[in-house]
Amino acid sequence: MKGKIGKSIKKIDVAEKTGGYARYIADMRFESMLHAKTLRSSKPRAKIKGIDIPEIPQGYYIVDRNDVPGKNRVKMIVNDQPFFAEDVVNYIGEPILLVVGPDKEKIIKILSEIKVYYEAVKPVFTIEEAEKLNTTPIYGEDNCFADYEIEKGDPDEAFGRAAKIVENEYRTGYQEHIYLEPQGMIGIYESNRVTVYGSMQCPYFVKNALIQGLGWGGDRIRVVQTTTGGAFGGKEEYPSLIAGHVAFAAVKAGKPVRLIFNRKEDIQATTKRHPSIIRLKTALDDHKKIIATDVDIKMDGGAYSGLSNVVLQRAMFAATGVYNIPNVRVRGRAFATNNVPSGALRGFGGPQAFFAIEMNMHALADHVSEDPLDFKIKHMLKKGDHTVTGGVLRQDVKLDEMTDMVLGMSDYRKKYDEFSKNDDQVLRGIGLSLFYHGCAFTGSGEKDIIKAEVKLKKREDGKVLILIANVDMGQGAQTTLRKIVARTLCIPVDDVIYENPDTDVVPDSGPTVASRTVMIVGFLLDKAAQELKAEWEKAPEVEVHKVYEQPGYIRWDQETFEGDAYPVYSWGTNVVEVEVDPVTCEIKVKGIWGVYDVGTAIDERIIQGQIEGGISQGLGYATIEVMNSKDGKILQDSITDYIIPCSMYFPGIESKLIDSYYEYGPYGAKCAGELPFIGAAPALASAVQNALNVQIKRIPVTPEYLMETAEGEN
Amino acid sequence: MVRAYRPPDFQSALTIMRENRAIPLAGGTDLMVSRRRWSGLSPFFAKPVLFIGHLEEIKRVEIDITNIKIGSACSLASLLEHREIPEVLKIVISQMATPAIRNIGTLGGNICNASPAGDALPVLYAMDASVVLQRKAEIRTLPIEKFITGPGETVLKDDELLTSIIIPKKSYNVGFYRKVGTRQANSLSKLSFQGLARIEEGKISDIRISFGAVAMTVIRSREIEEILIEKSGKEIEKLIPEVSSLYSAVIKPIDDQRSNIRYRKTISLKLLRYFLRTVLISKIG
Repeated sequence: MKGKIGKSIKKIDVAEKTGGYARYIADMRFESMLHAKTLRSSKPRAKIKGIDIPEIPQGYYIVDRNDVPGKNRVKMIVNDQPFFAEDVVNYIGEPILLVVGPDKEKIIKILSEIKVYYEAVKPVFTIEEAEKLNTTPIYGEDNCFADYEIEKGDPDEAFGRAAKIVENEYRTGYQEHIYLEPQGMIGIYESNRVTVYGSMQCPYFVKNALIQGLGWGGDRIRVVQTTTGGAFGGKEEYPSLIAGHVAFAAVKAGKPVRLIFNRKEDIQATTKRHPSIIRLKTALDDHKKIIATDVDIKMDGGAYSGLSNVVLQRAMFAATGVYNIPNVRVRGRAFATNNVPSGALRGFGGPQAFFAIEMNMHALADHVSEDPLDFKIKHMLKKGDHTVTGGVLRQDVKLDEMTDMVLGMSDYRKKYDEFSKNDDQVLRGIGLSLFYHGCAFTGSGEKDIIKAEVKLKKREDGKVLILIANVDMGQGAQTTLRKIVARTLCIPVDDVIYENPDTDVVPDSGPTVASRTVMIVGFLLDKAAQELKAEWEKAPEVEVHKVYEQPGYIRWDQETFEGDAYPVYSWGTNVVEVEVDPVTCEIKVKGIWGVYDVGTAIDERIIQGQIEGGISQGLGYATIEVMNSKDGKILQDSITDYIIPCSMYFPGIESKLIDSYYEYGPYGAKCAGELPFIGAAPALASAVQNALNVQIKRIPVTPEYLMETAEGEN
Repeated sequence: MVRAYRPPDFQSALTIMRENRAIPLAGGTDLMVSRRRWSGLSPFFAKPVLFIGHLEEIKRVEIDITNIKIGSACSLASLLEHREIPEVLKIVISQMATPAIRNIGTLGGNICNASPAGDALPVLYAMDASVVLQRKAEIRTLPIEKFITGPGETVLKDDELLTSIIIPKKSYNVGFYRKVGTRQANSLSKLSFQGLARIEEGKISDIRISFGAVAMTVIRSREIEEILIEKSGKEIEKLIPEVSSLYSAVIKPIDDQRSNIRYRKTISLKLLRYFLRTVLISKIG
């Protein structure tokens, strides 16, 4: 391998996926395998008074709370979610039991004959209701999964001397992952061990959940990731729940059990992006400069805590966006409601915060009659500045260079002036967003919680095995990590083997989340490869083992949220141009541009794929991906009603990467997976604002919302 | 298991209908979706299924001096390719579903499905389409608005088949269709608007207006259309508020997972005014 590492190679998984011979969980068959279907709560909140179960034929099983040998709690940050409901249910779709057996027809019949007696309890459906606490709390005393506050500088003093104080509130909605492959697992019990195969991002999360649920030692549990057809965070924590289900069922039945969701069930019962309400109060001085901000972030966490507190933390740490604001207070709360649990989705709290902060910057500029872009530029973070948590930006911040590039590519200035002239015939607008993503786990999470380990093994035939727990879910890990190892070892990429992880074989290199795989795991692999290279000739088979070491500069206090919230940041800027139909208020995207600093691109085409996918998914979030819950039930529960963008929906995306290098990333790489999602919604909303001359305060920006907003302002 | 018949010809199909009261399935793009079950299980049909999508007798397009007669099992894609199909109908069909669905979905199926949001319906109502219904010993022809009686409801008898759709040949010199869905391609309508007109010597000689997805069935009112007949551009401009309020009284949409009452109603009326003012009057000059 010569030349730049970023030069694209053929993506490893392309042939098997486009050829249709990749084997997903639904393609796997085991002898005498049984099917399972879940009986779910039909009530948002109720006590279970009793369950009538019909006579079950030979070879069929009911699997419920009584079949959980260990602790009936899914291992999470807080252990509040049961594998199977006990005496209460807290959301529509909550699993109560499984019916397991050989014939699907019979399983459906048994399910239809089971009767659950509920006693309704007054439910909580919205953030407002959860905050008011007008019924018994679902969680704790105050219905909050998390309630944090962080402070920087002296916000009270700054608000006291403000020339102007402006308040704005922004709302964001649900988003569904719509991974192409729905959730699915197969559990097998043999020789006193359980093996679970499935579609997942985090084999060791699943293994640890099984250790807790089965109450067994880890040596009796094996988890194997099967080729995963998309995940986007949706297969971060949720698979732990259903892995438990198939494991308990397999133990009870003594046969392999498979549980595969259909799309409707997947949408109704699995996690979604947290809806949020974000209120910003901003103090400006006489020079139209922001001196302080007070941010109040509220999220709908749904019925169980899941990852809500870390999603909330990421949103809070992003609460001032890419701007240097000296005095800040951020309060963040994740509320318990009787909605389906919210969870991880690309961006992980960042998209909500960046939408609010970017729109707020726009609104503030309007308020003081300044050009929004100039207003943003004068507040932009620079190297050496301090973040909300008092961390120092040690690496280069190239926002000014990136902004210049994207302005040139999109001809933003000229278009902005032209579109700002009110012309009712053609409603065109252009908007720009600036954003970042903190790479990898928050704070010292990599050191204190994850403690990633990797192994590389040279075989006798000279091939090298990558032994890690990270998965390829379409994002290209199989290709990029092979490239890193091959290059360091100076061997062909084809000589590097990287199979889907099997916890019997691979060490725990951490979950495939938080845009950490290339930067953290890839860096460890690079180091392991360097060591292996040095020892290459020592024996026919050589294995090297590396454990994560935190870069010395990181300072973080997880109790007070002070210090470097992330090891490093990736940065981005987006411009979106739109046309709004003056009759129907439909939005048409006419142009999309982006410039990114992701450190070194390990494979430029894969990064381009992340950029185009991220922007498209972000623009879907911003416009057409409407998901509402009514009385705890998801209304859009099919891909007919939950519409995502298709390839015809957007024009081509023009993107560029700027040169940048991070010394603790492999070949200088930082993070790239989530970043491109984050800037799409604020750029789109700003463009619509420019086109219609109205304030956009929520996403999705639907034609219904635009019509009502326009009517409201007339 | 589902019992299914695949008759060799149309007469056999009628016999099977009389004897079995089967559910006719042409393309199956609606039926197979609405009756699907757990993967690996057959879709649920309470009655036997009769395949009709292959029957040549109902896959023809016949043209005479006054009418275009479209076989009910003609695929949507085949109509797009047919030289004699009116352009206004092609515009509608080209925005229906996806190429894959248009290859197998049929015009007859879209009518019998009788969805208030059925994409082909507003233009068929506007063109005064009729449907030909046949059972073993009887053929009857009904105007489409008499055939469809409510959401998913038609007067089709349980041994009867829709065999063809008759569209009177007319020449319109103004056509305006707008489907409003969540996404441009492959999405269901939140609402749709169809306007057709003929302008002669600076006046309207013929006008048809229909609205989809904003009531139990497609809305078309000949009484309101009548008001606009023989009117000049200036006169129409004056009539817009009156016509708009008359339609407003009959547009009765619902709130659902795709849109809401306010948007559907407001935009329907905005499209009406856009059609009258911007499309029609500018054409009259």
